[in-house]
Order: sequence, then C-alpha cells, then structure tokens
Amino acid sequence: MDSAGHEPTRRKGIRGLLTARVLEAELSWISSLVLFFSTVYAALNFDILWVAFGITALSLSVLPVVATKDPFKALPWEMTLLLAAPILLHISAGSERLNENVAWWRSLTSLAFAFSLATIGFLLTVELQIFTSIRMNRPFAIFFVVMFTLAVAGFWGIGEFIGDKVWGTDYLGSNYDVMMNFMWTTVGGIAMGIVYYLYLKATPKRRRERLSFMHMWEEASWKKG
Amino acid sequence: MEERLKLLSRAMQAVLLAIALAGFLTDNLTWVPAAVVSLIITEIPSILRRDLKLVLPVELNFWIVLALFLHVFGGISGFYDNVPGWDHVTHALSSSLIAALGFILVLSVDQYVKAIYLPRRFLGVFIAMFTMAMGVLWELMEFSIDTWTGSHMQYSLDDSMLDLFFDGMAGIAVAMVGAHYLSHTTRDEFLENMGVDKAKEKIVQIVEKRKDK
Repeated sequence: MDSAGHEPTRRKGIRGLLTARVLEAELSWISSLVLFFSTVYAALNFDILWVAFGITALSLSVLPVVATKDPFKALPWEMTLLLAAPILLHISAGSERLNENVAWWRSLTSLAFAFSLATIGFLLTVELQIFTSIRMNRPFAIFFVVMFTLAVAGFWGIGEFIGDKVWGTDYLGSNYDVMMNFMWTTVGGIAMGIVYYLYLKATPKRRRERLSFMHMWEEASWKKG
Repeated sequence: MEERLKLLSRAMQAVLLAIALAGFLTDNLTWVPAAVVSLIITEIPSILRRDLKLVLPVELNFWIVLALFLHVFGGISGFYDNVPGWDHVTHALSSSLIAALGFILVLSVDQYVKAIYLPRRFLGVFIAMFTMAMGVLWELMEFSIDTWTGSHMQYSLDDSMLDLFFDGMAGIAVAMVGAHYLSHTTRDEFLENMGVDKAKEKIVQIVEKRKDK
C-alpha cells in the first residue's frame, strides 16, 4: 500500500495483501454488510425485534474495529457469518415458504438463531472486558454465554407474543412450535458454549495474535484490585 | 416482624404436613409427593444453618415457604384450575425466589473468585437474565413432562407465554431491588450477615476431610 513506485516491492505487496488475513477480513466485512442491509430492510418493515437484534449485532462487530482503528481487527468471519445468518433467514421469502413445507426447516432457523445469540453473548463477554471494569473467567464466561442465549430467547418470545397480540400476527405459532424453538435454543446455546470454550484454545497462534482481543477472558494473569 | 414471619412459616409448614397426611389417609395421592418434597425443601435452610452456619435472611426463608405453600395449596384446593391467574402468581413468586438465590450465589462468586469482578449494574442485568433463562428451562421441563406422561401442566400458548412474562417481571423486580440494596450495603457486609464466609470455610473443611479419606 505504501510502497508505490517500486515495482518489485509493490508486486510483493500485492501478493502480501492476498493473504488469509485480507480474505478473512473481507469475508467478515461482507457478512457485516449483509447484516447491515438486513437490518435496514427489517427497519423498513417496522420489524422492531429484528432491528434491535441487528443493531446489537452490528455494534458488537464494529466496536473492536472502531476502538483499535484497524480494519483488520474485524471479528473472525465465522462469527459475523453466524450473526448474519438468522436475520437473513428471517427476511428471505424462500425461507418462509420452506418453513411451511419442510418439517425441519423451523428447527434449523431456531438453531441458527441460537448460534447467533450465543455469538452475541460471547462477544459481550469479550467486549465487556475490553471496555468496562467487568472481569470474568473462563467457566463464568461460558455460563454467561449459555444463560444469555436462553434468556434472550425467552424475552424474544415474550416480545413476539406481545407483537402477535397487538398486531394480530402469528409469529409464534402453536405452543408446540414455541417449545420446540426453546428446545433447539437450549441445544444450540449449550453446544455453542462448548464450541467457544474449545474455539479459543484451538485458534492457531498467528491468528490468535492478530485477533488478540478475542482472548480477553483467557488471560489468567488478571487480578482484582 | 421477624418472629411473626417465622411463626407464619411454621404454620404453612404444618399445613403442608397436614396436606401430605390427609392425602395419604384418604388415598388422594396426586399432591402428596409435591407436599412432601416441599416440606423437605423448606427444611433446607435449617439444615444449612446447622451444618454450614449459613444464615439466610428471615424474609427469604419466608418467601421460600410461601412459594411452595401456594403451589401445593393451589393444587390441592383446585385454585390452579379455578382461580384465574393463580398459575402466574405462583410463577412470579417462585421466579423471584430463584432470582434471589441467584443473586446470593453470583455475589458470592464475585466475592470469592479472584478473576471475576461484576459491577452493581451488571449484577442487575445478570439476575434478570438468569431468572429468564430459568423460566425458559422451567417451561421446557413442563413441556417435556406433558409430552412424556400426557399430563396437562401447560394449558395453552397464551398461558406459557404469560408464565414467562411473569417470570421476567419477577426477575427484573428482584434485580432492581438487589441493585438498590447494594447501593447502600457493601457486599462484604451482606455476605457476612449471612455467614457465607464461615460456610465457605466449612465446605472447604468438608472437602478436605473427604480427600483425606
């Protein structure tokens, strides 16, 4: 980027740019864009719950970039992808049709929603440590992720229930649907709790250094006081 | 005030015992297990006090007995079916109980685990979410018992969602009370009054004894 004029170094620079680092950041930014436009779409439809979801997810994914002023400090792309998936599923008409025709599609969307909630919970545990005085250790953070997933699903259900009553819509479906949704949320939440526990451990060293902010609650050296 | 609450708790325990006995004598066994289990749970604070020197606040003890009493009494008297909203009252009561116990638990964790620090406001949010998560798990439990045994713990969608709504409200209420409480009492004082530090030492002792064997 900075070595304009020198042909060889520039070529080297371009080759250097096309590394996993750039690709990952790009993927992450693209997912964030999908998330952004889905949120705008939801806002145009006065879909309050999903707008709240989108804004929360967006701010959590942008915060580290803004704070470090480094576009490469974007979240790992797999996380932004998980964040964008459920809202995309929610607004796409194809998914709605599948909801009615394919028996397990509803479960799949529930699961995708649970994954994204757990991801938000995980980002919260990380970013709360960066930006506030809150400190957690690993077991507590995992507990928080699972609990957060369940709790938001619960409040979300209440929100949809109130929406259904006020606007006469039928988002919730039957009691069975809601309970199955909760069941998949629980499964997804616990699974993601375990995944994030292992995830930080399994991240390769180079990637870990690049995304050092992800490892906040892995640091054992922190002491109260 | 404290004496009165204690007396009331005893009275409710007596009624629970009476319900268990009467049910057994007249062969109406539906609510006997619930009554017996409730009685055992209401005795847990006394056991904690004896063995761990952990003193729960009198109000909390009373709350525990009240929640269980209203649950069993509502079942035996048919109030669950006949009194509208009974279900939601017991739900709100028991979730506020869960919230209070969660509050004590998370305060202790904050106090005794070195790597964890949770500010007051976060504790409030945490308690509200904890209660809601428990509410969701509770509804799931009701649903699975219904599915497996064919019972009717869940009446309808509206009912389950209102249950959750009251769970959430109770959780938020306790969270606000707790956060307010911590604004004029230090955590040390709060936990010391309950004897959590002594209880922790006792637990450590017991664990070490087990290890020696």
